[in-house]
Amino acid sequence: MLALQLLVNGILLGGLYVLVAQSLNLIFGVMGVVNLAHGAVIALAGLFTYWFTAHTGANPLLVLPIAGVAGALMGALGQRLLVEPVMRHGARSELLSLLVTFGLSYILIELALQLFGADFVSVPDLQSSWQLGSLAFGKALVVAGVFALVMSALLYAWLNHSMSGKTLLAAAQSPTGAISCGIDVALVRMTAFGIGVGLAAAAGVLVIIIQPVAPQTASDLTLLAFVIIALGGLGDYLGVAIAAVLLGITQSVAGYYLGGNAEYILPYVLLLVVMVARPGRFRRIR
Amino acid sequence: MPSQRRPWGASSYCRGALAAFSCLIGLGGVAQAAKPIVIGTTVSETGPLATDGEYQLRGLQLGVAEINAHGGWLGRKVELKVYDDKSSPGAAVRLYQRLITLDKVNLLIGPYSSLVTVAVAPLINKYHMATLEPGASVPSIYVKGNTWNLMNTADSTTYLHQLLPLAKQHGAKTVALLGLESAYSLACYHARVAQAKELGFKIVYQTTYTLQTDFSSIALAIKNAKPAVVLECGYYPDSVNLVRSLHQQGYAPQFMGETVGPVEAAYVKALGPLANRVYGNSGWWFNFKTPGNAKFIADYKKMFHAEPDYHAAAAYTATQLLGAAVEGTHSLDQEKIRQWIVTHKVESIQGPIQDNQYGHTVGAVQDRVQIQSGVLKLVAPASLAQAKPEIPYTGN
Repeated sequence: MLALQLLVNGILLGGLYVLVAQSLNLIFGVMGVVNLAHGAVIALAGLFTYWFTAHTGANPLLVLPIAGVAGALMGALGQRLLVEPVMRHGARSELLSLLVTFGLSYILIELALQLFGADFVSVPDLQSSWQLGSLAFGKALVVAGVFALVMSALLYAWLNHSMSGKTLLAAAQSPTGAISCGIDVALVRMTAFGIGVGLAAAAGVLVIIIQPVAPQTASDLTLLAFVIIALGGLGDYLGVAIAAVLLGITQSVAGYYLGGNAEYILPYVLLLVVMVARPGRFRRIR
Repeated sequence: MPSQRRPWGASSYCRGALAAFSCLIGLGGVAQAAKPIVIGTTVSETGPLATDGEYQLRGLQLGVAEINAHGGWLGRKVELKVYDDKSSPGAAVRLYQRLITLDKVNLLIGPYSSLVTVAVAPLINKYHMATLEPGASVPSIYVKGNTWNLMNTADSTTYLHQLLPLAKQHGAKTVALLGLESAYSLACYHARVAQAKELGFKIVYQTTYTLQTDFSSIALAIKNAKPAVVLECGYYPDSVNLVRSLHQQGYAPQFMGETVGPVEAAYVKALGPLANRVYGNSGWWFNFKTPGNAKFIADYKKMFHAEPDYHAAAAYTATQLLGAAVEGTHSLDQEKIRQWIVTHKVESIQGPIQDNQYGHTVGAVQDRVQIQSGVLKLVAPASLAQAKPEIPYTGN
């Protein structure tokens, strides 16, 4: 039974990781942009959720669609105004976009500090568990995991089985080829960025139910998301989901038997091991 | 970037016709004499320590405002020059170097947290700046050879020191102990491990951890070890995560104690009813019959529209103690100030503060508080207690 509970805890933790990482993965997969403002979007959405529920008494899950849509619109706008102009610089565009999103992350963190203050906050919702026999399923993590699973499945299905999704993948694999086929690559990139930011904002709503969030949490979230997509394969949606769940299970077992420090450093140790053993994974999968 | 306005330099006094005339006829010396006394400090306004850092900053701001309302020190206004160290020891070292060598502040007050102060302490010692440390409770800072850092709060080995004896009185025999990998919390953790052994507790689970967010495995391990007491030395975010994870794994120990987190208003907001009956610790409390305490509370509420905590009280105390030393020595001489502080007992809102020759505050302890029906109450010592401890912790 202990093994099963560790497995459940690990899978639920992995679900949270999928939630945090998949939107970063989408943006990287399609555009080759490591969105360093990713964690700031999650933190900002989480803090907005706290503020909104504190003032209205509403269920935080009601904020999910608001944050998702608002995030997508702002993401699309931000991409068109800030990121797209640097995408026309050929080989330099990846570095330039990295710098742009780095700057954007500082602006968003400062905005969050000004709007919501520097305190860690969380909301006291979904704190208990569902019991199945003697197995406990933390409600907040289950909701986050189910949301991540549904979003990942929809994303996967859309990218692989719809014309618009295939268009997006085509633009990712060969922008020049896509342009020659009449695809508006700039529009595709704006769409992908918008969806990615929208998903990150939705993730923020769920993250603040699970753990305390402050503006300064942003960099930790970005780092964690990057480690997960690096482990799963940059731009590989299924690979990232599998890596996130495996990482969650491994951390769950390590945390139980070896303590907190071992659990904390495990993702970074694994990243180093994979970098040394499989350097080929650190290419964008096109 | 400094979060306060920059202190006025001498040139500021030469602004305007009258001041310009004074400068021209050689009265610059008079203006110079009236220059404000500048206290330099850093505070964790952002980063993982920002929740507590904000209390420290507010305590300092209130202290300086009251000093100026009473005419300042040595007939001069007092100004605070604050930088945000972002909860980073490295950033704090650079900023204190700047405060000492570039800004050339008159006096220093230390940063928030032992974690940051441990890094800054050698620099303060090197420059022989008599520096009060309201936010650094780890005793290893205040030792021979490192005597310019001056404590003005209870040390972290006293955090939650009354919980295990209370639990033992009620028949508890087993304990789980957790400590965050940070200077103050490890000092607290090791002290509680030693205390548990002395009191004959069986330590059924113990671990140290980094600032992580997932406590499900640790909570499961605690659940399987079935301790009567869970005692954690940490900060606010991990305090919240541990209580939540224990609840999700379906375990409520008879006694639940955490340092730092429970005294913050955000703790009850984050946990709701799960926070009830959790013990915390505080070196200061609202009902202390200490000189100026009622005024401190009233002024704090008026200035910040919120209630203070012990971090704010310690910071406010630092300004009062520094003022007593400056006025007592009629000087800004660092050696004289240091010597005055280690040889005088000062009555503060926290109670009497007396440092030994190494700057370690003698005799101060952290008292025990407990959240009862969403309200934090002092439950020990008995002479000051507002309520009796509510037992057991129920986790809902």
